[in-house]
Amino acid sequence: MEDKLTREEVLHVANLARIKLTEEEIEKYQVELKKLLTDVEKINEVEGYDDDILIACWDQNTELRKDVEGEMLDPKQVVENAPRHAGNYIEVPVVIGESEGA
Amino acid sequence: MKYLNRPLQEVHELLKKKEIKPIDLVEEAFENIEANKELNAFITLNKEEAIQRAKELEDQEVDNLLFGIPIALKDNIITEGLRTTCGSHILDNFVPIYNATIVDKLLEKKMIIIGKTNMDQFGMGSSSRTSYYGAPKNPWDLNKIAGGSSGGSAAAISSREVMLAIGSDTGGSIRQPSSYTGIVGMKPTYGRVSRYGLVAFASSLDQLGPMTKNVYENAVLLNAIVGKDEKDLTSAKREEEDFTRLIGEDIKGMKIAIPNFLMGDIVSEEVKDKVKETIKCLEENGATVDYIDIKYIENAMTLYQIIAMGEASSNLARFDGIRYGFQADNIKNIEDVYLETRGQGFGEEVKRRIMVGSYLLSGENAKVYYNKALSIRDDMRKEFKKAFETYDLIIGPTTVTTAYDLTDPMDDPRKSFMDDVLVIPVNMAGLPGMNIPVGFDQNHMPIGMQIIGDSFEEAKMYKLASFIEKELNLDLMPGGEK
Repeated sequence: MEDKLTREEVLHVANLARIKLTEEEIEKYQVELKKLLTDVEKINEVEGYDDDILIACWDQNTELRKDVEGEMLDPKQVVENAPRHAGNYIEVPVVIGESEGA
Repeated sequence: MKYLNRPLQEVHELLKKKEIKPIDLVEEAFENIEANKELNAFITLNKEEAIQRAKELEDQEVDNLLFGIPIALKDNIITEGLRTTCGSHILDNFVPIYNATIVDKLLEKKMIIIGKTNMDQFGMGSSSRTSYYGAPKNPWDLNKIAGGSSGGSAAAISSREVMLAIGSDTGGSIRQPSSYTGIVGMKPTYGRVSRYGLVAFASSLDQLGPMTKNVYENAVLLNAIVGKDEKDLTSAKREEEDFTRLIGEDIKGMKIAIPNFLMGDIVSEEVKDKVKETIKCLEENGATVDYIDIKYIENAMTLYQIIAMGEASSNLARFDGIRYGFQADNIKNIEDVYLETRGQGFGEEVKRRIMVGSYLLSGENAKVYYNKALSIRDDMRKEFKKAFETYDLIIGPTTVTTAYDLTDPMDDPRKSFMDDVLVIPVNMAGLPGMNIPVGFDQNHMPIGMQIIGDSFEEAKMYKLASFIEKELNLDLMPGGEK
């Protein structure tokens, strides 16, 4: 087995994770991600367990809170937490790609 | 040292008799932090607010043990008006607009928040060296790590900068640094403490807990933070109980188990010897100690890698550079905001884990890895439960070695998981686990023992821990009592 991922494989997972990598990082992660992905393969060697799954260690009765209106955060404060904002709005850059514009 | 190294009960009495005021404790805390600056235990200090609050409390009735006591919070617990970074560049400038439930609970007890402690970025790491703000150091030897990810809280308690601290534990992050720095750290049962306002790393594993210089103070702090919270669906509704109630009781007749895995070849002889000495002491005092096997425990690290990285990739999707925190410059479109902000904002370890996690959860992989991990985890938990039908408690070493050098290489991505190999099974099974110091290695670095209880059996764990604390009577002040 190759001891590192291909460049394309690293770029694929970086894209899944919405992370831009530098050239230097791509090279580094080719080796490092391979190590971790080899590690997790060990799960396929485990035998004898049943089909039940445990999503969270939780043996209480689930109790939903009542559907009533509660206190709200102040919208002004919420918006002010955004890196770019104007008035009561959060500012975002162009959402539509340039080629699709006009 | 004036007051912060004294027992909580003693300081409480002084406050009650008005012989000291909360401001004396706050001033001492900031003096200690200044004197120990090199430790780098804190990311953000809350000085003005803390002084103001101490003065406000002066005329109020000292109505509980925690009244006026300075506390430090790990920097992944959100605090209204006080910067919360999670040790990451991506939250450099993030000032939350509401409090975590645990913060409100501590403030209700009239505690005083001194600052936010250093940590591995988003809790990902085992030495706190992935912090964007530099690693905290170990008060026992400034060349050594304080452990992680709650390394700042551990260093702050070990050096007595503050009296009490809160940490979080996803795969050992309270117990492991507690072991490296010679303090008492408790990861309560999953569901004991509300996670509302704890910045999520792996939601099915994360839990908040107390880090203190002794067992009694740990139990008192746990008393204050537990309880059902309607803002956290997974918080447990339990009868109110006093976690100090069994402290000091006789351990005669207690049945204790040690999983063979926890005493295997991966553990250094020095650590094992110290644990064995402690076991001997327990047996001499009427407890029985048996070695047992717990099936699947050796797979816990693999399960953890899959579950924790998978859940992290999903949880950390919220950091988009739009709503709060850091946003990269020179962006042309929305896609750039995500890619550049996350690329520049997250540290190496975080990016590595999010990428692997995204891969593990993508398409069919979710079945091949994540679902399988959940399935084996269920069997492992059943194995633990079976052991608790016979035994009161499970024990073993907390870490495989004592704290290592800050300069040790960080190039193996598996290292941070390996450091936690003995503490991870507890999170996988949702059980409570704690560290209690049991001695020192030849370089006088602390060695810790782990006590694991059945779900919601924290009081029983404190009983055994308090017995060990009393029997061993270690001097746990770095550099000796001052």
